[in-house]
Parts: sequence; C-alpha cells; structure tokens
Amino acid sequence: MAVSDRPTAGAVPAIATELGPWLSRYGTLAALALLILFNLAVTRNFATWQTLNINLTQVATIVIVAVGMTLVIASGGIDLSVGSLMAIAAALAPLIFLNRIVTFPSLYLGVAIAFVVPVLLAGLFGLFNGWLITRYRVQPIVGTLILFIAGRGIAQSFTDSNQVIFSTPEFQFIGLGRFFGIPVQVIIMVVIVVLAAWVLRRTVFGKQILAIGGNEAAARLSGVRVDRIKQLVYAISGLCSGIAGLIVIARNSAADSNLVGLGVELDAIAAVAVGGTLLTGGRASVFATLIGALIIQLVRFTLLANGVPDAAALVVKAGLIILAVWLQRRVAT
Amino acid sequence: MVITVSRRAFLAVSAGLVVATAARPTWAALPPLKKKDVYKVGFAQTESNNPWRLAQTASMQDEAKKLGHQLVYTDAAGSAAKQVADVNSMVAQGVDVIFLPPREEKPLIPAIMNAKKAGIPVILVDRDVDHSLAKPGEDYVTFTGSDFVDEGKRVAEWLIKAVGGKAKIIEIEGTVGSSPANDRKKGFDTALKGSPDMVILASQSGDFARDKGRQVMETLLQAHPDATAVYAHSDEMALGAIAAIEAAGKVPGKDIMVVGVDGEKAALEAIIAGKMGATCECNPRFGPGAFAIMKRYADGETLPTFIKNEDRFFDASNAKDMVATAF
Repeated sequence: MAVSDRPTAGAVPAIATELGPWLSRYGTLAALALLILFNLAVTRNFATWQTLNINLTQVATIVIVAVGMTLVIASGGIDLSVGSLMAIAAALAPLIFLNRIVTFPSLYLGVAIAFVVPVLLAGLFGLFNGWLITRYRVQPIVGTLILFIAGRGIAQSFTDSNQVIFSTPEFQFIGLGRFFGIPVQVIIMVVIVVLAAWVLRRTVFGKQILAIGGNEAAARLSGVRVDRIKQLVYAISGLCSGIAGLIVIARNSAADSNLVGLGVELDAIAAVAVGGTLLTGGRASVFATLIGALIIQLVRFTLLANGVPDAAALVVKAGLIILAVWLQRRVAT
Repeated sequence: MVITVSRRAFLAVSAGLVVATAARPTWAALPPLKKKDVYKVGFAQTESNNPWRLAQTASMQDEAKKLGHQLVYTDAAGSAAKQVADVNSMVAQGVDVIFLPPREEKPLIPAIMNAKKAGIPVILVDRDVDHSLAKPGEDYVTFTGSDFVDEGKRVAEWLIKAVGGKAKIIEIEGTVGSSPANDRKKGFDTALKGSPDMVILASQSGDFARDKGRQVMETLLQAHPDATAVYAHSDEMALGAIAAIEAAGKVPGKDIMVVGVDGEKAALEAIIAGKMGATCECNPRFGPGAFAIMKRYADGETLPTFIKNEDRFFDASNAKDMVATAF
C-alpha cells in the first residue's frame, strides 16, 4: 500500500535484507492486520458491524484532516492550524443555519449555506497560511502557528466562547445520516481519500507537490509555480479542516468553539507519520495515511475496550510513532 | 500524665518557631475590613472560555450592582502569571477586598501574600490554594466553593434509589488528575460501597468534553453491551454518552440510565425529555454567597476556613421548574 512517488531521478539505495523492503512497503498494513487479529482474540464483541461502524465514524474526521496534512507534508511543509480552522468552521455554521446572522427564507437554504460558507472560510484561512509562507518566506511551522493561536480566538469571538446547542437533522445529516447503511461521514472520508490519492498520483498538480517537497529549488528552476502550488495545498488543508469541523458538531448536536479540533493537528501528523510518510516531504501516500489513522484509532479502541487507562494509551501511541520512524530509517539507510 | 520532651526536640521546635516568626512578620494577622456602605471590590477571574465561568462572572457582577459596590473585574485568560499581575494591579489600585478563583494551587501564593501585606483581605472562590504555603484564616479570609465529593455522593444515592440498588455502571471520568474528577469519583464510588449489586463495569476518562465523552461511551458500550447505567463527571460528557447510546440503537433513560454533574441547562432539558435521570449542580453563582461572606467578615465574625457553596439537585421532579435558572 505504502507506494511512494519519487519525481526526482535519484537512485533508491539497495537494501541488504529481503525483509527490509517488504517491511517498509507493507509494515503498516501488517501492523493493522495484527491489531485486528489481536482484537478478534481478546476484545469482547469485536467481530460486529457496530465495531466497524464506531471505529470508522470516530476516525473519519482525523482522516479527513490528515489527508490535507499529507498533501502539506508532501510539499515539505506542516500545518499546525488545522484544529483552529475546524473550530472556526464549527463556530460559524450553527450561527448561519440558526438564523443568528441573517434570517433565511427557508431552512434548506440556510443549511446549504451553512455547509458551504464555513468550509470556504476555513479554506481562505488556509490560503492565508500559504500566502504567509510563500510571500514572506515564513517557515511553515511558524506561519501556521499564527492561526493555530489566533484561529481559536476568532472561533471563540463568533460565539463569545459560549457553546451553541442545536437540533437540526437537516444539517446533522453529515454526522448522523446514512446512505445504504453507511454513515455519511465515512462516505465523505472515502471520497476525500480516493480523490486526494488520485490527485497525488495521477495529476500534474500532484507531481508538482511532490517535486516541491523533494527539492524546492530544482522544482522552481524546472518551471513549477512553487508559490501558487503551495498556497493551494494549504488552502486544501483548510478546506479539509472545515469539513471535519462540521462533522464533529453535527455528531454532537453542539458547537463548542473552545474544544472543537483541540489537539487534532497532532493526531493528523501522527497518522501521517505512522502511515510511513517522511515528514521531510517529497514522498507521500494518502492510503498510507489512512492506514496510519486506522492503526491509531484501533489502538485507542483496543485499550479503551479492555479497560487500559488513558495515560497508557498515550504511551502506546508514541511507541507506534517510534516504530514507524524505525521502519522509515531502514529504507533510508 | 507525664509529658517528656527531649532537649533536642525542644530546641528544634523553638528554633522552628523563631524562624517562622522571623520569616513572617505579619504572622496570623489577617487584614481587617472596615464597615462601609460601598466597597471597591476586585474580582480576578481566571478565564472566560466556558459557560460555567461566564455564569460565575455574571453572578458576581449582578450581585455587586445590586448591592451598589464598585467591581474591578479582570480576566487572566487562562494564565496564572497574568492572574498574579491582575491581583497586584488591584492592590495598586487600592481595592477594599479581592475575590480570587486561583487558577493553580501554588503560583497565586505571591499575589495573595502581596495583598495581605497591603492590608487587603482576599476571599478565594471555587478553587483553593496549597495550605502549606498559605493558610485560610491567616493569609486569606476563607475558601468558598462546591464540595465535589458530596456531588458524587448525591448522584450515587439518587442512582441507587432509581435503579433499585441494582445496576451495571459505566463511569466516564473527568480530566485525569483534576480535583473535580478525583473527588467526584471518590464520592460516587464510596457511596456505592453499601450496595453490592451496583457494579462499575468500566471507568475511563472523557476529559470533561462532550465529543470525547461520546467516543469513550461508544467504545465502552460496545465492550459492555450489558451496561444499564452511566455516571459522567460532567453533564457535557453525559450528553455525549446519550448521543452514543442513541447511535447504538438503545433508548437513554429507559435501557440505560444516565446521570451527570454540573446542572447545565442542556442537561436539564435532557432530563425533561426523559433522556437523562438526574444531575447534581456545581453552582457557578457565587455572587450572593461571596458578598455575604464579605459582609460577615466586615462585621468582625470569625469565619470557618471552608464555606460550602450550596449545590441544587435536579431530576424529573423539579427540572421543569428549575430549567430557567440553570446556567
């Protein structure tokens, strides 16, 4: 699964052992399979549709954010603002469909606008990230730190830090609805994963992202419009965050600008890292990120369902990242 | 009775007394409060990022207005350092008395000492400080707040009665290590001791947040489908648990009884809708109580070191009448 694209012509170092390439290619998938086998043996009521349902619905928002993060990381950057952008979209949407800003003639119009405007706004803030980073050559970790801090403040100012509670099935469809028995947020997740994977592997845009991440100067010299591509990538990350923010509030029937998306940036980066994508950019796989997120989710589920306390869960999560880094080093050396 | 004190112990104790007296020249002298009609009162709020804090601030402001006092209000925005600076600036402004919810147990001590040195009495609200560093009745007037252990106990007692002493319980804890989480667990678990058929199947943290509480409940309900009750350390997590129960195709309030703590408006609405059993209030309305303490102190009364802020209890019998007064 962990297929990586290398646009720059460089010789991949040969690996001495036979196990090496197999591990780096299928290691995360094997880890996921092992986890599932472990749960089948140990966890009560594991082999049920409900388990699949719970895990997929819980992981959906992290995967959606992590897909955006994968593209950013592929371009050699990082996006710390994703959680705050989730909060901005989450705080704004209910104000729209509850007619707190302007009164819409019909509920459906309000709900439709509540889907579009907050996500676009999050995308615009993402674009702002990209503009800071390209126009002023701010390092991505610093450039996105600005909205990581300010973004939550902006979200809080929408609602005066109050939690907005609602019961609007038309809007909450994206968090609670189902198509042919499949939760809507899972469908959204799959669509975004497939779309991003296709963009990264098959389109010029995708190749250009990887080229920039691999060697920015070389990409610039070969005619890639580096600044524009980067701005787009951060905007996409913003859009993904906006969608995730809406799903979270739809699921909870409440928008709490203080808490929505808190710590998500780290979950998303962890998913990318566990999936096996190098944080230095130039190589990336969206499917690997999906597997990475599923592993983290399943570990959390396993520990929780078996009564292991939270503190231990955090340590195990860190252990997984170390394992992923170790696997990557095997490829690099 | 013969008391023998060794020479060494006597020396050690007296040396300790000398050091303590020398280090604290104002030992045991709480600054008095003059009797006046109008006071200039400082309220150094710790943060304003949740409904509970907003309700607390509103209560202080309303009561000050009602009594005609002048309120100097600051918001430390979640920073202990800023809160120290806020208190010091109130001292510089020469307020008569300071109400302080100390963000953390130790960092606020210098601010309390500074106020004491300037002759301004400090009353702690909703959170206390480390008693080894500052003593109630000595360095500050008193601490007034909720009794978290009692909150857990009252919820447990209601639940035992509601389910006839027999339940399989999932407990969703607050933030690991926080005093409300520790104490609400202690109060609840202790109260269950006398009922052997009240079994806690699992107990995990939901971080006091609705989203996390929902996810934890989804997972625990899958592992323990035989659960018949949920005790959440906050109403937000209880409401998250209700969403999880509904998603699993069960009926909250019927298949699974849900109880919480905090007494927020949304929880009372859930009680009215029959989805939730009961909740014990964690009262944010400190205004009337705090200003009454101030008056008692000005009258020269010797106050206890802890004054409990009374919490109400909500269930189906009173939720409808009380919902308008919930925060």
